Amino acid sequence: MTKLTSKITAVLILVFIGVCMVFGMFGNKKLRSSDENRELSKRPALSRSSLIDGEFAEMLGSYTADHFPLRTNWLKLNSKLLEETGEGIVNGVYVADDILLDADTSRRASSGSCVAEINRFARDYGGAVYVVAVPTSSGVYRERLPEHLDVYRESQQISDFYDRLNKDIKRIDAYNILKMLNDNYIYYRSDTKWTSYGAYCVYRTVIQKLGFLPTTFDKYSIRHVTSDFRGNLYNRSLCTSVKPDIMDFYYCNEGAEVVSCTGIYNSGKIVDKRIYDDQQLDSDYVYSAYLGEEVPLLKIKTSVNNERKLLVIKDSYADCFIPFLTQHYSEIDVITPELLEGSASSFVDFGDYEQTLFLFGIENLSDSSIFAALNR
Amino acid sequence: MIYSSLLFIYGFLPLSLLVYYLMPRKAQTPALLAMSVIFCGLFGLRYLVFVSAYALINYGAAGLISRYRGKNEMASAVFAIGVSFDIISVFVFRTELFSPLRSAFGFPERFFPIGISFMALSAIGTLIDIYSGKEEADSDIVRFSLYFLFFPRLIMGPVLRYRSFVKVLESRRSELDEIGVGLTIFVKGLSKKVIAADTLYILYEAVRSTDVQDMSILTAWLGIIAYMLCLYFTLSGLSDMGIGAGYCFGMRMPQSFNYPLFSSRIRYFGAGWHIQTVQWMRRYVTKPLYSHFNGRIVRRLLFICVWAIFGFWYTFSLNGLMWGVFIGTAITIESRINRGKIIDSTGIIYTGIVVMMSGALLSGEDAVYSFRYLLAMAGSGSIADKFSFYLVKSYIVILLICMYASTNLFRNMMVRSGKNRIRIAFAAISPLVVLAALILCTALMMYSGDSGMILMKL
Repeated sequence: MTKLTSKITAVLILVFIGVCMVFGMFGNKKLRSSDENRELSKRPALSRSSLIDGEFAEMLGSYTADHFPLRTNWLKLNSKLLEETGEGIVNGVYVADDILLDADTSRRASSGSCVAEINRFARDYGGAVYVVAVPTSSGVYRERLPEHLDVYRESQQISDFYDRLNKDIKRIDAYNILKMLNDNYIYYRSDTKWTSYGAYCVYRTVIQKLGFLPTTFDKYSIRHVTSDFRGNLYNRSLCTSVKPDIMDFYYCNEGAEVVSCTGIYNSGKIVDKRIYDDQQLDSDYVYSAYLGEEVPLLKIKTSVNNERKLLVIKDSYADCFIPFLTQHYSEIDVITPELLEGSASSFVDFGDYEQTLFLFGIENLSDSSIFAALNR
Repeated sequence: MIYSSLLFIYGFLPLSLLVYYLMPRKAQTPALLAMSVIFCGLFGLRYLVFVSAYALINYGAAGLISRYRGKNEMASAVFAIGVSFDIISVFVFRTELFSPLRSAFGFPERFFPIGISFMALSAIGTLIDIYSGKEEADSDIVRFSLYFLFFPRLIMGPVLRYRSFVKVLESRRSELDEIGVGLTIFVKGLSKKVIAADTLYILYEAVRSTDVQDMSILTAWLGIIAYMLCLYFTLSGLSDMGIGAGYCFGMRMPQSFNYPLFSSRIRYFGAGWHIQTVQWMRRYVTKPLYSHFNGRIVRRLLFICVWAIFGFWYTFSLNGLMWGVFIGTAITIESRINRGKIIDSTGIIYTGIVVMMSGALLSGEDAVYSFRYLLAMAGSGSIADKFSFYLVKSYIVILLICMYASTNLFRNMMVRSGKNRIRIAFAAISPLVVLAALILCTALMMYSGDSGMILMKL
């Protein structure tokens, strides 16, 4: 290489590095990334322990990456590169032709402690307990994943989970219902979760088990609220080659209405909520349009006149499922144990409900502490 | 903070260059030491204390040996203590043998002093040189500490004799074109690590996720080719990044690898793989032993033993030892074959087979796994299955590009082209190629902020 070329290289690279560094250091800092749907890391504070272990440099490293100029564009380039090379796995997300599937098997663990917590709850509880474990899109569409990424068999995981539940707990097999219908739009392309339609299909079975006749599909009028929804798998991969998703709200014509809907925070603060919250459609987390921003406890009262009360213990999979239940109960109370700080019994009296429904995505059952609040 | 991280490239490196070039030449060496101290400190103050103590203890030992050289016993005693300290400290941190000792000094379980293996070789070599009178102990503590702490040398060597390091340090040039060469080498190393090694690692992991006992031949070979290429690109990538960073400060350290993988002879592989470490082994282990033993067969056995030590140095386990014995034996056997009979293409094929087989020994977590893997490569299962075709389909392009990049074909083309058009054209676009490579690597590192997979802790 000639000296001149070397000099040009030096100037070019140094200028590029310098510009990126200066903008990274002094440019505007965002607190949140809407594409990744997460808080960006804050400037790390110096502390004795973080300096001793070298943790400070790690935090500084992720701070540098989080506030790198044009981070989102870099990530999109990253996504394009990884999609085109190798197997097409971007940060643990497998890019099949028209759907993103979770391929990060390291995130999954056993659900042993969850089973124990549910069994303990059921033992002390007087009424009937129903459990629905919902597979993720990579479970239902597992044949689209390369074989070696499918080490984690969700159908197997769900049946193991069901087998270990107490005998008198009623289990509902969502996996096979969804598997049979997988030609339909039952899962989002960019999210691990099911769509409203997927939830409706499972609702038909669940509500029969709970002792009601399901509302038929033709009774609903469906509103496409957005065709621009990008879910958690997009947040991880920023892969734009898969079409954004459609989100639907289901309204039951001539059916029962929701009379009141209140959310209660850990602090005891009470807020008015809605089953479908249009305002959330403009937020970073569009999915929260179902039931609005998440609260530890949600109390729904309907115009149904049968004095029946249902307790739902759930995660985000249930958000689009609960609206279907409002046609059958005069009161539905919804607990999100993940958000509860104290004990659940200080919020509600379990004895008030003759039925309790657990509805969870199987992917969230690997979090062993998720039900800790139930039996505290 | 590893070299292949955004924090290093867009923070530490430019800032340290800025500080360095603002200093007058006299203050540059202390400035380099100060920056190296900060670099070590970023791995944790515990690490900084460890490396500083390590450098100081060796400084003390070197000084004492030099002073007592007339009175033989004292010098021998200090020499023995110094070398034992260096050897034991490697064993303390790289094996579980001394874990009580480690916890007695308050080191947590996951603490690993980066570069300890290279530091130990440097330290032992220096003490031997001083003891045998080949070199005087340096009283300049800044320079001596820099020999251990110098951050471009810290993670992946190269192992230099103290004298060579001082020569590199004192003859440094501060010119813009030197920085250009340095950045080019740095980006080359970065691409090796981030683009090649990280992709190959996914392929290797995919193969490892299947059961070795019903692995098809094709899958086994794909996996091991991916492993060897990944190992080569990781080690030489990190080493290139270090050397490139050194060039930016005007310091010309030698390259560690000379296109070993697809050589035409096994001994060329041996000569091109971690060159300075192999040289170290030859200088401080093989030669002194040879002077005591004259028999041809004994010498051959010694040769294999030294390779075994070299292999052991990589993993500190039986697998590395087997790797060393295997390569050493292969070189010995090759030297017995009439050289005129082998043509280069045959040589490339059998070298490739031997090197890949050695990879199976190096990569396994225990000997049993390695032998099962070798069996799979030899054909204990089917020839190919759905999985292996899937891997071929997904990775063939990358694999071929990486194989090409690991050979010296491109360099030879450049050398042969002389002053003709290809060379001029390449010179004209090379700054842009370097920039493009840097951009791609930056994008690939953006999600996590670095590319920390290092396959082997040295």
